[in-house]
Amino acid sequence: MRLRVWFLILAFLLPPHLRAQAATDVQLPLEAKSVRFAVIGDSGTGEHAQYEVAQRMELYRERVNFEFVIMLGDNIYGGHQPQDFRKKFEMPYHALLDAGVKFYATLGNHDNPDERLYKPFNMGGQRYYTFNKGDVEFFVLDSNYMDPAQLSWIEQSLQKSTAKWTIAYFHHPLYSNGRTHGPDLDLRTRLTPLFRQYGVNAVFSGHEHVYERVQPENSIYYFILGNSGKLMTHDFQSSEGMEKGFDTDQGFMLVEIAGDKLYFQTISRSGHTIDSGSVEHQSHPDSVSKVP
Amino acid sequence: MNRRLPARWKSLQRVNCRCVFRVAAATLVVLAGVWSAAGRGSGDQDHATVNDFESRVARYLELRKKEAGSSPRPTNSPEKIVDSQQDLATKIKALRPDAKQGDIFTPEIADYFRHQISATLAGHDGHKIRASLRHAEPVHALPLQVNQVYPKGIPLQSPPATLLLNLPNLPKELEYRIVGHNLVLHDIAPNIVVDFVVNAIPSKKE
Repeated sequence: MRLRVWFLILAFLLPPHLRAQAATDVQLPLEAKSVRFAVIGDSGTGEHAQYEVAQRMELYRERVNFEFVIMLGDNIYGGHQPQDFRKKFEMPYHALLDAGVKFYATLGNHDNPDERLYKPFNMGGQRYYTFNKGDVEFFVLDSNYMDPAQLSWIEQSLQKSTAKWTIAYFHHPLYSNGRTHGPDLDLRTRLTPLFRQYGVNAVFSGHEHVYERVQPENSIYYFILGNSGKLMTHDFQSSEGMEKGFDTDQGFMLVEIAGDKLYFQTISRSGHTIDSGSVEHQSHPDSVSKVP
Repeated sequence: MNRRLPARWKSLQRVNCRCVFRVAAATLVVLAGVWSAAGRGSGDQDHATVNDFESRVARYLELRKKEAGSSPRPTNSPEKIVDSQQDLATKIKALRPDAKQGDIFTPEIADYFRHQISATLAGHDGHKIRASLRHAEPVHALPLQVNQVYPKGIPLQSPPATLLLNLPNLPKELEYRIVGHNLVLHDIAPNIVVDFVVNAIPSKKE
C-alpha cells in the first residue's frame, strides 16, 4: 500500500512528457514528415465524459504531436448560446487549442448551421470545403443537406484534386451496423459512385454513437466514430461487414499518413487501445485520372 | 340472290373495314393530340408554378438582404454569431409582420411540391429515401409558425439527396427542412421559418 502511494507521488512529480509517456501506448510509427491528426465525433455534450476524452487526447498529443483534429459533427449539442460554445468546445479542448492544434469541423444534425461562422472550427463560413495537409486532401461535406449544388461541387473538386490521398468526412455514415440510426442508404446511392470514380481512399463519419471499422467497400475504407462525447452502449445489431466495433465507452482516433500507408489507432476514454492497424494506399480500378 | 349476297357482303365488309380503320386512325390521332396537349399543358403549368415559386423566393430574399442584411463574416466570438442571428431575425420579423403560411407556398405551389415528393417516394429509390428519413432523427410535435425561430436544441432533418434533386433549387441562403410530415422553407442566417407546406411528406400507405 505504502509502495503504491510512493509510486503515485513519484508519477505526479514526473515532468509532463514523461508522465504522458507512462500513460500512453502509442501504436503509430511516428515517421518524419508524416501527416498526423486526431478524429472526434458527436463530441459536444459538455459532460464529464467529453472532458475526459479531451484530457486523454492531450496526453497523446504530447507524444504523437498531431497537428489538427477533424470533427465529424454534432460539435455542439442542445443550446447554442455563447456559454455553450465555451462549455462544449473551448473548455474541454483548451489544452489542445493552447498548443496550437487546429480543429476542422463538419456539421451534424444537432449543429446550428451558423457554426460555420465560428473561426475555431475553420470552416471559412462554408457548409462544405476542402483543405490540404501534405499529401492529403480532405473533403469536408455537409451530409445534412446534400443538394445538387453540393453534389456538383464534390464531383468538380474531386476531379481537380491532385493529392495522393483523398479523405472525405461528414456526419451521416454510409455503412453502419448501429441499431439507433444505421446507414444512410440514399446518401450512399449518391456519394459512393463519386468516391469510386475519383478514387477516395478513406471516409470518416459520426452520428452513430459507437466506433466501427467497416470492411472496405470497393476498396474504400470506412470508419465511424460517434462516441467522443455521446455513447450508445450495446448498439450493434449485427456484425455484418464489420471489422471492429466498440460500443462500451467513449473514445477518439489517431491517424498518421506516411507514404503509401495510413496508420490508425482508436483509444477509449480510459486509455485502452481498442483498435489499431494500417491500410495501404489503394488503387481504384474504376477511378478516372485526375486533372494534373 | 344467294349468289349476290356474298359479293355484297364482301363489298359491305370492305366499306366497314375502311370505315373502322379510318375511325380508329382518327380516334388515335385525336387521342394522341389530346394526350400530347394535356402533357404539354401540365409541363407548362409546372414550369409556371416553379417560376412563380422562384420569384416569390427571390422577392423574399431581396427584401431580406436589402433591409435586414446578409450573413455575418466568420468570427472568434460566439457572442457576435448569436447576436447577429437574433438581430437579423428581429429585423425580418419586423419587415414581414403579416407574413402567413401560404405566402410563398401558395395552394398551387404546395400541390406541386406534394406531387413531386409523392412521385419521388413512389419511384425507384423511394424505399432508400424513406429509410434515410427514418434513420435520421425525425422531428415531430413541433408546432410550426411563419417567422418563428427554429428551436436550436432540436435536431434538424432535411430532405434526403434524391428528394432534393426533384425539388426546385434554392439560393444558398435558404434550405428545405422536414418537420413531421411538413416541408419547411428555412432561412439559415436568421434561423427562421419563412413558410411551410402542410402534409408534404405522405405516410407510407398513401
